[in-house]
Amino acid sequence: MDEPNKTETMDHEVKAQEYLDNWKRERADFINYKKDEAKRVEEFVKYANEDLILEVMELVDDIEIAAREVPGVGLEHVIKKFKDLFKKYGVERIKVEGEFDPALHEAIETAPGGSKLQEVRAGYMMRDKVIRPVRVKIIK
Amino acid sequence: MAKILGIDLGTTNSAMAVVEIGQPRILENKEGVRTTPSIVAVGKNGERYVGVTAKRQAVTNPANTIFSVKRLIGRRFDDAEVQRDKTLLPYEIRKGEHGDVEVKMGEKWLKPAEISAMVLQKLKADAEDKLGEKITEAIITVPAYFDDAQRKATKDAGEIAGLTVKRVINEPTAAALAYGFNKKKDEKIVVYDFGGGTFDVSVLEVSEDTIEVKSTGGDTHLGGDDIDQRVIQYFISEFKKESGMDVSKDQLVVQRLKDAAEKAKHELSSTIQTEVNIPFLTADSSGPKHFTMGFSRAKLEELIRELIDKSISLTKKTVEDAGLKLSDINEVVMVGGQTRMPLIVEEVKKLFGKEPHKDINPDEVVALGAAVQGGIMQGDIRDVLLLDVTPLSLGIETMGQVMTKMIEKNTTVPVSKSQVFSTAADNQPSVEIHVLQGERAMAVDNKTLGRFILDGIPPAPRGVPQVEVSFDIDANGILNVKAKDKATGKEQSVRIEGSSGLSDEEKKRMTADAEKFAAEDTKKRELAESRNLGETLAYSTEKMIKDNDAKIKEEDKKELNDKIEEVRKAMKGDNVDDIKKATESLSTAAQRVGGDLYKQQPQTPPADETPKTEEAPKEETKN
Repeated sequence: MDEPNKTETMDHEVKAQEYLDNWKRERADFINYKKDEAKRVEEFVKYANEDLILEVMELVDDIEIAAREVPGVGLEHVIKKFKDLFKKYGVERIKVEGEFDPALHEAIETAPGGSKLQEVRAGYMMRDKVIRPVRVKIIK
Repeated sequence: MAKILGIDLGTTNSAMAVVEIGQPRILENKEGVRTTPSIVAVGKNGERYVGVTAKRQAVTNPANTIFSVKRLIGRRFDDAEVQRDKTLLPYEIRKGEHGDVEVKMGEKWLKPAEISAMVLQKLKADAEDKLGEKITEAIITVPAYFDDAQRKATKDAGEIAGLTVKRVINEPTAAALAYGFNKKKDEKIVVYDFGGGTFDVSVLEVSEDTIEVKSTGGDTHLGGDDIDQRVIQYFISEFKKESGMDVSKDQLVVQRLKDAAEKAKHELSSTIQTEVNIPFLTADSSGPKHFTMGFSRAKLEELIRELIDKSISLTKKTVEDAGLKLSDINEVVMVGGQTRMPLIVEEVKKLFGKEPHKDINPDEVVALGAAVQGGIMQGDIRDVLLLDVTPLSLGIETMGQVMTKMIEKNTTVPVSKSQVFSTAADNQPSVEIHVLQGERAMAVDNKTLGRFILDGIPPAPRGVPQVEVSFDIDANGILNVKAKDKATGKEQSVRIEGSSGLSDEEKKRMTADAEKFAAEDTKKRELAESRNLGETLAYSTEKMIKDNDAKIKEEDKKELNDKIEEVRKAMKGDNVDDIKKATESLSTAAQRVGGDLYKQQPQTPPADETPKTEEAPKEETKN
């Protein structure tokens, strides 16, 4: 008499299957997530210094302006040291040449009919990523 | 199952998110950034730019750089809003065949939806790139005040971009979903959204299975950009006062001031005083001019207070429009980058008399909520949202009345953790397991959940017995604490139901206390730890003297005993430095004497006094 009837058993089987499926999905999601996370960590480590370097860059900007405004006091040596430091961390200055390319350049001002680039503030690549575009003025 | 992309298609910036293992996560774009400017441009040679590249080339190509197209989407050309915006936008717009708006980009006239589609297309492509799978479905958010035509046009934009738009949902609703407020029944929620260019406020009502918008308000031309502008203007006028030079027409100088303004604004969200320091800002005949100025949070707030006050009065009005009193509101949610500003948080808090929710990044909360909606539709979230977290940390009391955490707060349950502890005295026959809940450093300041004694520990020197304590919280939130003597296998346990059953007030008070007493607690813990360290060293030195009585010179014995005495004396006081100093001095002396002992008998390997415990760090339970 206490035997569960057939539909009840089936209900439970369906439920059990559903739970099992959900659990498997959850496990799979988790394993995939771990893989993705490993990739993210790798990426993170690769660019972990980015924020710090960006802040240091602002100081270098100032020193570069100072070197231009007050030439002949040896500031270029200081700049060279910073450049070497950047290089050590895979950071290289973007050369300003050719046509305006928004992937590398950020335009601040443009002269009518202008097409040549004048660097206003240096831009840098960290490995293959533009961490700061070159600020340019487009001149005739 | 393919993922549904949640998209916050913003006026200034857009963001996207997907649900992964039941949690929404922001996806970065191809440039590695979490938000993408909602800007599209076409260059001279017909090349198309979307996002940050479009932004960077804007000044070279203002007529063909389309931004803020969200202000136009789905509107009639004759709309007052459109007529107003027309004068502000540098690109051309005209009345379309059906009375709608058309935008000129390059040689073509396009519908705003087509422009938005380009932004969506980039997001879709970048998401596919990131996830390594095709994305075909999306949830897109719109302001709560959008009418049918605007919603339809947004949906069209998605379809043009190759997305099946599963649903267009309201931005405030998405924000509420990101916070999981859809589970709250009969709550009234205010969403305060201070974005880059627009300010929106909405009142929502959550009832069984639905989130209904009761009223909306705001100002389509009030945003963070206005705040930045005021700061830049202030800098310009201050510089003029100082140097007599007007730099407002010099784009390069203004750009540097703008950078400094943004930086100062961010800094003043966490500090109350900063310095603006721009060397060689410009020059005149007398030489270079630098701009250096102290800038305080108070000054910033004075500059922009009017804007914030406006947002607050709009908020008040919107609540009234919903037929509610301010006190009827149960939750307040902050959206938009500007809400990081302490003044805004403070004013909103003052208005509603409660702390607004701002834990989720306000730039990302809408996109996350859109992803949550996608997850709910796929059934991804339903199962997972049932998983609770522990509201407070759980742990036991250890030597020196210290609370040692076993399970940190906000750990998702079910969970189990175990750690091996030992005794604090020689031949200690039992240990008491005092189960605690809370964030405070000292046991007495936390809540006692239960206690029990594990006895029958065979006589052994202190530190030798290994008592494994394990905490297990099952899916129903029931906590089981078990202590087991590894030598005898004897165990004792306690079952605590409703360990998370604290009232909200209790939780809040305990968390607030932990913050309030953080500095004091650190000191107390440090004191307890230095006492423990001192006591351990005093004990082991005494043991060394006893075990090697014959081999240690009398004068060394005296020195060590004196130093032990000093450590014990210092331990009675409250000065951590004194204890540390005495301990250090004892440690140096003990090491020297110990070293001499080994030299006396170089053949015998040193006896390993303390057995190594397994992975778990060994600590001593109080006796």
